[in-house]
Amino acid sequence: METLVLFALLGLGSGAVIAGIALGVVLSWRGSGTINLAAGATVMVAGYVFWALRTGFFGFALQTVPAIVLTLLFMALYAVVVELVAVRPLRSASPLAKLVASLGVLLLTQALVLLIFGSAPRNSPSVLTGDVVSVFGVAVPEAQFILAGIVVALAGGLAALYRFTRFGLATRAASESERSAALAGLSPNVISLGNSVLGHVATGFVGVLAASIVGLSATTLPLLIIPALAAALFARFTSFGVACAVSLLIGISESLLYQASNESWFPTQNGSAIPGVQQVVEFLLIVIALWWRGSSLPLRGDLVERSLPMVPDQDRLAARVAPVAIACAVALVVLPSDFRQAVATGLVATVLCLSFVVIMGYVGQLSVVQLALAGVAGFVLSHLEAAYGIGFPLAPILAIAAATVLGVLIGASALRVRGVTLVVVTLAAAIAIEQFIFANPDWGGGQTGAPVESPKLFGLNLGADASFRGLDGSLPSPVFGLLALVVTVVLYLFVANLRRGDLGRRMLAVRSNERAAAAAGVNVRAVKIQGFAIASFLASIAGVMYAYDFRTVSANSYGTMSALSLVASVYVLGVTLVQGGVLAGFGAAGAVIPLILQTWVLPESRVSIYMQLIIGAGLLIQLRFCPDGLLVASATKRERRARASRAGKALTAVGAKPQGGV
Amino acid sequence: MTQPVLRIEGLTAGYGTVDVVRDVHLEVGKGEVVALLGPNGAGKTTTLRALSGLVKVSAGSISMRGQDLTGLTPAARARCAIAHVPEDRGLFRGLTVAEHLRLGPRGERLEADLAYRYFPALPAIADRRAGVLSGGEQQMLAVGRALARRPSLLVLDELSLGLAPVIVEQLLPVIRAYADESGCAVLLVEQHVHLALEISDRAYLMAHGVGSDSHDAAVLRRDRSVIQASYLGGQEWTPTADREKERDGDTQ
Amino acid sequence: MPSPVLSARGISVRYGGVQALSGVDIEVRPGQIVGLIGPNGAGKTTFIDAVTGFARCTGSVEVAGRDIGRMRPHARVQAGLGRTWQAVELFDALTVAENLAVAARRPALWTTIRELLTNAEATRPPVGHALEALGIEGLAEAMPGELSEGQRKLVGMARAFVGDPKVVLLDEPAAGLDTDESAELGKHLRRLGDQGTPMLLIDHDINLVFATCDHVVVLEFGQVIATGRPADVRRDPRVISAYLGSAASDDIKVGEES
Repeated sequence: METLVLFALLGLGSGAVIAGIALGVVLSWRGSGTINLAAGATVMVAGYVFWALRTGFFGFALQTVPAIVLTLLFMALYAVVVELVAVRPLRSASPLAKLVASLGVLLLTQALVLLIFGSAPRNSPSVLTGDVVSVFGVAVPEAQFILAGIVVALAGGLAALYRFTRFGLATRAASESERSAALAGLSPNVISLGNSVLGHVATGFVGVLAASIVGLSATTLPLLIIPALAAALFARFTSFGVACAVSLLIGISESLLYQASNESWFPTQNGSAIPGVQQVVEFLLIVIALWWRGSSLPLRGDLVERSLPMVPDQDRLAARVAPVAIACAVALVVLPSDFRQAVATGLVATVLCLSFVVIMGYVGQLSVVQLALAGVAGFVLSHLEAAYGIGFPLAPILAIAAATVLGVLIGASALRVRGVTLVVVTLAAAIAIEQFIFANPDWGGGQTGAPVESPKLFGLNLGADASFRGLDGSLPSPVFGLLALVVTVVLYLFVANLRRGDLGRRMLAVRSNERAAAAAGVNVRAVKIQGFAIASFLASIAGVMYAYDFRTVSANSYGTMSALSLVASVYVLGVTLVQGGVLAGFGAAGAVIPLILQTWVLPESRVSIYMQLIIGAGLLIQLRFCPDGLLVASATKRERRARASRAGKALTAVGAKPQGGV
Repeated sequence: MTQPVLRIEGLTAGYGTVDVVRDVHLEVGKGEVVALLGPNGAGKTTTLRALSGLVKVSAGSISMRGQDLTGLTPAARARCAIAHVPEDRGLFRGLTVAEHLRLGPRGERLEADLAYRYFPALPAIADRRAGVLSGGEQQMLAVGRALARRPSLLVLDELSLGLAPVIVEQLLPVIRAYADESGCAVLLVEQHVHLALEISDRAYLMAHGVGSDSHDAAVLRRDRSVIQASYLGGQEWTPTADREKERDGDTQ
Repeated sequence: MPSPVLSARGISVRYGGVQALSGVDIEVRPGQIVGLIGPNGAGKTTFIDAVTGFARCTGSVEVAGRDIGRMRPHARVQAGLGRTWQAVELFDALTVAENLAVAARRPALWTTIRELLTNAEATRPPVGHALEALGIEGLAEAMPGELSEGQRKLVGMARAFVGDPKVVLLDEPAAGLDTDESAELGKHLRRLGDQGTPMLLIDHDINLVFATCDHVVVLEFGQVIATGRPADVRRDPRVISAYLGSAASDDIKVGEES
């Protein structure tokens, strides 16, 4: 009993951090209608700035109080910059664009923190007292109580602010209907900025206080957004009290689960507790919240003026694909070994990016679980071989089928809600898969990775270790690369044809207007499920190809942050175009563009961070100046000209008829 | 002649690339009640929205007491002492009546007492949320809130929407009384033409996005043909005439 | 008398504390164009939403004798119930022809699959007949963003007719049109009606409704206050006071003159 109490209370600390982030999420939603994926990164920024000021990282060390004050001032400034760069320019943009913008902020800030402060976790100097109090005869650090007390007070303060002040009234009014608020003389820009500053300072304050308790890490803190989103969903993105209470409960349950994992009844594997249960619980919480609260999630009466990116028709496919395919084929034979590897990896990543084109570009939903699904397919492939002796081609087929079914199940759990909430479910699912499946020593590869046999058909080795070598005589063999090229071209044409066909039209109809699509006889849920199935299918194929490409499957390749980077780069280049998927694929980790950069431009150890920086910044620039995506803008222009000339001909034909009649 | 409170000159405005109103001219003076009349789809609401900055103006100018409003955001225009009660009433379901009467732009204090004085039914429901009020109560709150801002220009779009005529007959005289007492200029769009004309000084007629010259309300009250021409169009619509002839033939 | 194509009985809708519709009965029979009129806020659009499954309601809805009251909106459309929207709601990423193709009858499953696997020019369901019926063949390749309001309305109507529905509900097709476009629309409606598609027409243009419809239903405050032939309805004093304002009795004379 005592240990239960102890562990419950020890969870208050991390619960408080989650609560701090959840409060920031609620403030962002109410202030500007953004689902702020970067709210977790706010804790990271504040934590690092405070640590740096306190420990003399910048050459001078401050006392605790001045350091806190300076940190909070910095957070206010940071909020203003984020507001001006990523929020205000998109005020009339679609919810998807707003969401993607916050993804850009997350990628950019995390990359900056990693570049400035490095990736090693830091021990932040503690701010709160180190004393302990005795509860039921158990010694509990006082700081846990103080921190929990502070977030409860913050939540109460914010609720009072919203209830009693003019600013709070104005925010509540504007989040119901921006048009009515504007007619009442309330400036949406001021309201949005005010809430942004409030959110960043409050979240940052909690981050500063908690950094010494939960640890300062640029890789883990941003992902605390997931439990915070779960709490915010329960609070309908509205109630500070509910958001705070659910966050604390999540923190407590996390701590209790940790304690339970030492108990004899807890499911174990090879003598140690199975990992990732906490992440699975968070995913299930989000699904429950969506089913319970989903239909009543508040719709903001925003003035959406700019719609989603245009979707140019995919014309002259063969003419465009052939030269690129031939160039790839030649490159796969003649280039030096590291570039051959990069081309093959780029082809595989292209397939993965095509899955984002389908779900994001065609169906208009943001899903980030695909990379995790790719991982699932890879691990299933590896285990089918290792445990059951099933090989090519049955094993990849089964692996792809299994991962696709998992993807459809995840997508189905978000069906009840309209709009962009799929991102919340898929983000949680990605983390849950990463922690529960990949990190599991039996199901996943654990820390070492699982081996994969090369594909062999009729005794012919199709893998990267085939006997046919590149011009320089070294591994990898071009055989696998050429196989990947064929698969990629086929899937590229498949996704392009999808745009032109009946299913693609229905997807785009759903994307632009779900009600009108239903009134045109389109089964909206079925189309979303089909879109999700196709996206999952493509991702699973990519996963199997990754496994053959590297001849091993390891959890590191399928991390959630990599998935977010990939999503962002597809969006920058043009999420509605297959070509966008290709370019993004060749910019993915291990593919050609990073290899070029690390060979000639950047230090090798930091290439991935710089790529993330470029993608994050590129995203914010693109959303502002070229909202359709870089490739889409030019394709749309070309298409408009083509249609104009076609229509011109048609009109001449029509115009000729009446004269003939007379 | 004194400067009008509101002057709209050559206004052309619409949604996207489509102009819904074309070359509309309109003026409202101090203490004057002016009705903007016409069939549904004529562009009346679009004119009001253009005035408040909610739709894109592609040509023409709108000025308040000589100050050009071009380029101002809707919120900034509202702060130029324009109170616009839109068709959907512009209320916030989650806010109480009392909260609505505290909700003003920065530097502007609403005079809740004024709203309570013109609408004596409001104090009793001060603590109820707007979302649970009846249609008539909501409209009283919307108008009361607008009056409490003590605007120079009051813009009312279809006050009678969804309300029983008896309630409309109570609401409109309040508007007239307020204009007389405060000198506020009022521009109203109203489908109950005859009720609107009874409280108006002048009226403009709109049809298919085009406005008319100013008409004296008293004249329009006496001679309905002008309005009927605006609402029901002329005889040029052949299918109508054909069908009418057929039907008349049937009945006779 | 032929049995009704659309039969909605006892339709009631509540929004929060407001009774938007109470017990409305409307039938549309083969070859009929039925008009539904009433002042702003009387519940006309709510009725269409209820019948097409976009608003929760009580009561029964049958299309060609088949109960569709429990179906989701898209299934009702597939059962033969077409509708248009006041705000048109075109799919802005698709051309006019593609907009219609979405609503056209579904190609067979294997066609869809073959489309995905072959690089042939995608097969499109025929949409030309609907474009021609509304006189907008020339717009097939245009994007919705490039159209005038009148053209958008016509495309929205073509989309409702392209799937050969058993009955179509039109929500204010003439609102926002200029005089010429409105007149043009009246001709198209009549032609579509003569070709055998029954319709329920909501519009504010009273003359359009009276001239086009065989039968008119008048709503006020969510209740039917009058129903009958246009000539009878327009003389009904309750209709005149509800629709044209209490002091509007003079207006009838204009109606009779035209």
